[in-house]
Parts: sequence; C-alpha cells; structure tokens
Amino acid sequence: MSARSAARLLAVLCAAAALGGCGVGPGEGPQAGVKLTVTRDFGSRPLLERDRLQVADADTVMRVLQRNAEVRTRFGGDFVQSIEGVAGGRRDGRPVDWFLYVNGILAERGASAVRLRGGDRVWWDHHDWGLTPDVPAVVGSFPEPFLHGSAGRRLPVRVECEDPRAAACDAVAGKLISLGIPAGRSEIGGSAADDTLRVLVGPWSRLRGRDAEADSLDRGPRSSGVYARFDAASATRLTVLDPRGRAARTLGAGTGLIAATRAVERQPVWFVTGTDAAGVDSAARAFDESALNDRFALAISRDLPVGVPLQEGAR
Amino acid sequence: MTPRASALHAARAPIAAAYACALVVAVLSFEHPLVLAALGAAIVATGALARCARSLARAALFGVPFAVAIALVNPLVAREGLNVVLRLGEIGPLGHLDVTRESLVFGAILGLRALLVVLAGGALLSATVDPDELLARFRRVSVRSALTAALAVRLVPVLGRDARRLADARRCRPDAAARPNTAERLQIVRAVATGAMDRALDVAATLEVRGYATPAAPGRGRRPPEPWSRHDLAVAVSALALLALCAGARLAGVAGFDAYPRTELALGTAEWVLAGALVLVALAPFAERRGIEP
Repeated sequence: MSARSAARLLAVLCAAAALGGCGVGPGEGPQAGVKLTVTRDFGSRPLLERDRLQVADADTVMRVLQRNAEVRTRFGGDFVQSIEGVAGGRRDGRPVDWFLYVNGILAERGASAVRLRGGDRVWWDHHDWGLTPDVPAVVGSFPEPFLHGSAGRRLPVRVECEDPRAAACDAVAGKLISLGIPAGRSEIGGSAADDTLRVLVGPWSRLRGRDAEADSLDRGPRSSGVYARFDAASATRLTVLDPRGRAARTLGAGTGLIAATRAVERQPVWFVTGTDAAGVDSAARAFDESALNDRFALAISRDLPVGVPLQEGAR
Repeated sequence: MTPRASALHAARAPIAAAYACALVVAVLSFEHPLVLAALGAAIVATGALARCARSLARAALFGVPFAVAIALVNPLVAREGLNVVLRLGEIGPLGHLDVTRESLVFGAILGLRALLVVLAGGALLSATVDPDELLARFRRVSVRSALTAALAVRLVPVLGRDARRLADARRCRPDAAARPNTAERLQIVRAVATGAMDRALDVAATLEVRGYATPAAPGRGRRPPEPWSRHDLAVAVSALALLALCAGARLAGVAGFDAYPRTELALGTAEWVLAGALVLVALAPFAERRGIEP
C-alpha cells in the first residue's frame, strides 16, 4: 500500500469515526443532573442518595454507581453483585438481588450498557425476588418517566379516566401539566399507540376488564409486579401483600392505590385507582413526588400511606 | 566434572524445571506493575546469566506481538473502568464501546504477564533443562505419560528437520530463488503439517523400539540415588523461596492491585522490598561459580 493510499484510508477511517459518534475523552455532559438512589427491601430502607450528579456523554449507569458507591460486579462488569457491602444471593433461604430502574422502568440490559441522559433517575433496589423477579415498572421515581421518558426519548402522556369530568381526573392531569408535562385526556381505552405513557384513573371496579394491563394486575404480582390485589367480586377491598406474596393487610372502603406495570414491548401504564370514588380521590391527592418517592407502589388508607409490598416493620 | 554453562544447567533437570515453573507461578501471582517489572528483570537477567539470552530474544519475537495483541484486545472487550479516553460509538456486535484508561492499563499488564510466561515457561525452560533427563526421571512416575511427553518434545525438532530438507530440495530446482518467498514458505509448511501425523507414528515407533514404552524391571536398571550437588540445592532453595515469597506476599496483602473501577495500586516500602527480594532470590543460585564454565 502506497503512502498516499494509506493517507486516504486513514482519512476515511477518521471521517467514519467522527460520523459514528466517536470522540476523545468522556464527552460533554448534559445540562440537567442525574439522581441516584440505592435502597433495600422494595425501597423501604434507604442506603444512599445522590442528587444532581453531573454526567458525561460516555457515562453509563455502572460508571455513575461506581463513582458514588463501593460496588462489586460480576459477568465481566456488566452486572452488580454488591453495593456498599450488600450482596445478591440468598437471605433467610430466599433469593435476593439488586434490581435497576431507570426512570421507574426495570432495566433490561446490564448496567454498563445503559447510557444516562440529563434528568434521569437511577434507582437500585435490593430485594427478595422469590415471588417474581419481574417488577417491570415502579412509581417511586415520579415525575419520571413522564418528564424525561425512556432511553433519552420523551413519550406522549395520556390520562385515561373512567369519568373525564371527575375531580380525581382533573387532579392527576393538573399535576402532570404543572410539572410541564403535556398530558392529553380521554376515556379509558382512548390511546391506541403502544408508545404512549398512560395513567388510568377510576375505581377498580370500572377499570377491571377494560385494559390488558389492568387484567395483569388482577392476575397478581407474578403477572404485573404489583404486590396488591383487589377482591375478585366487587373490588371493594384491597389486600396488600408482603414480599413473599402473602396477604399482609386488607384495606376496606375508601382505599386508594397508585401502581404501575408494563407489558412486553409497551410503555408503562400507571393506575390511580381505589376501592371506590373516595379511594380514587385519596390516590389522586397522593399523586405527588413526596408521597411516591422510593415506593414500588402505594396504597392509601384513610389518607395514610401504606407501602406496597408491605415490609415487616417498614414505613 | 565437566563444567556447565550455568547453575541452571548444572542442576538436575527436575529442579531446573521447578525453578522455571516457580518464576511462572510468581508472574501469575501478581498483577502489580512494579512486581511484574521486577520479575521481568529477573527473568531477563536469569537468561543472560544462564547464557541463553539469544533463546529469550527469539521467544520474545513471538511473545511481544502476542502480548501487544492482548493489550489491544482487552480495552475492546472490557466494559469496566471509570475514565473514558476514547468513545468509539456503536460497533456491531460489541455494542456501544468506550475505551477506558483502566482497561488500557490492565490490558498492558495482561500482555506483560503473557510475555513473561512465554519467556520463563517457554524459552528459559527449554534452553536450560535437558528434556531427555527430565523425561527419564519422569518415566519412573508414569511410563505412558513420559512416552507421550517424549513424543511431543521430539516431534517438533523432527518436523523442523523435515522442513529444512524440503526447503533444500526446493532450492535444488533450476528455477528456484535463493530464498523462498511467502507462498513457497507456505507450501513447505503445508507439506510438513499434512505429514505430521505420519511422522508422529514414525517417532512413536522409534521410541517404542528403543524401549521407551517398557517399564524397567524392579531393581534393574535403576541408578543409585545421586547426591545433591551445591547447584541442585541452590536452585531448589531459590525456587522454594520464590514460591514462599509469593505466598507470603499474597497472605500479607502486599502488592495489592485493583484494575477496576479505578486503577489503584499499593506502592510502599513493602512493595519495593518484595520486588527487590524476588530479583535477589531468583538470581542467588548464579552466585555460586564452582563447576561453571568461565
């Protein structure tokens, strides 16, 4: 190969590298910071919280975690084995491990493959997965995923209400709009696109059977990842389960529930629901960052929060 | 007594082999750059004192490209490290690829270790240990294994001689150049490789005819145990001391090195003392010059 050919080849390679998003160094950081939360037992025991972390283009969830906590990895650095000395494995004969949520959505790839964007909320939780390893969406990163979406892409948001003129529907839509999230409003089943983030608002008896994700919640935590169950007949009672799937507490009339689930290849669906209209109103009042923070799901009984799943001795 | 080239040549074969293996174990025991550098210096100095520097240089011709390949591949496959120095974007099946300073450093360390293993476990061992003596002693332990090892050891030079004969034959052709080009070299290699199995059978049959496969009758043909020479003792003690130093350092947590997520290494007095001790212990057998060629 002549010197001229080599120079041409080098120029082509440099151009391809530049066009392919290559660069020297970690790259520029986004304007908004990233929030990192590390908890145990379905968010009930906080281990570490860092807010407004500055990240660069090349940063992954794993790098940000390793910069801020003592981490041991496995599988070539792709997966976390322990954070701050808390390791995956077995505890009291039950399987426990670290699970990663980015903007409230369970990560489907290793932490070293998940890129971060400005405003993302990263949540690591160490919990018992004996009942199900698949809790596909959680509410504890609110206002995510509504604000920054998923994988750096903002998503359309629609509030679907059993009664679009109800106060609860107004409260939920108003809360999203006050956060700068353009949220459309419709009746149940009004969104056709799989890429829409939906919030279903209404009593469970009226949501039941009208939506595929709602059906998954009725099938139990193995199907939806939500550790709570409305009674099969009239949905007038809500049974909150513990991490093993056993009934921990049964809540009666006036109980609300905020939970999220996600079907394969679809965006998360949130439920702001309850045993009756009073319960839905309670849930709508709790549709707020301070109430939802670090919760997998939240039940509200007599305006008091009940964590879902219900941990022994937890808040 | 015939003077020998070095203390390693003067020591009996299993002990000289154990010394080379101890160096390999030492290399594989540490990732600390200072300790690896000290072991590298010890291996090169050992090669020079054992008068086999040329063998080490020949092995390095193969070992250095091998080490460089390891050093270059590691940053492309490792996903770890906090300090990104190069963003390569999406690269096919490898996914999104970032080269980190930590993966470059660890790649270089892996490459250096591979090179030192080639030098100590390959070049130094083959240049200072008599394979016939080693196999003869090993035969007492396992006849079949010794025969297999003898076959493996002898097959390579047999094939080398075959290749030289084929090259000589090629040069006898009227249209042949003085030196074969790449295509002609490849033809010779192909001819030798395709006949390797036949040659292996020939070598095996020859070894069998010479009695390699027949275990010695009890009490017959067994040489009386030889007393240990000063070189046997010196090399054996050196090998044991190398292993003891490695074990002690590991147990005491000396020369700690973390490649990921940040490159962190201990560099205190203990590490310098360990590095110096490894070099001294490795070279100590060569201080004894009695019975060694001037």
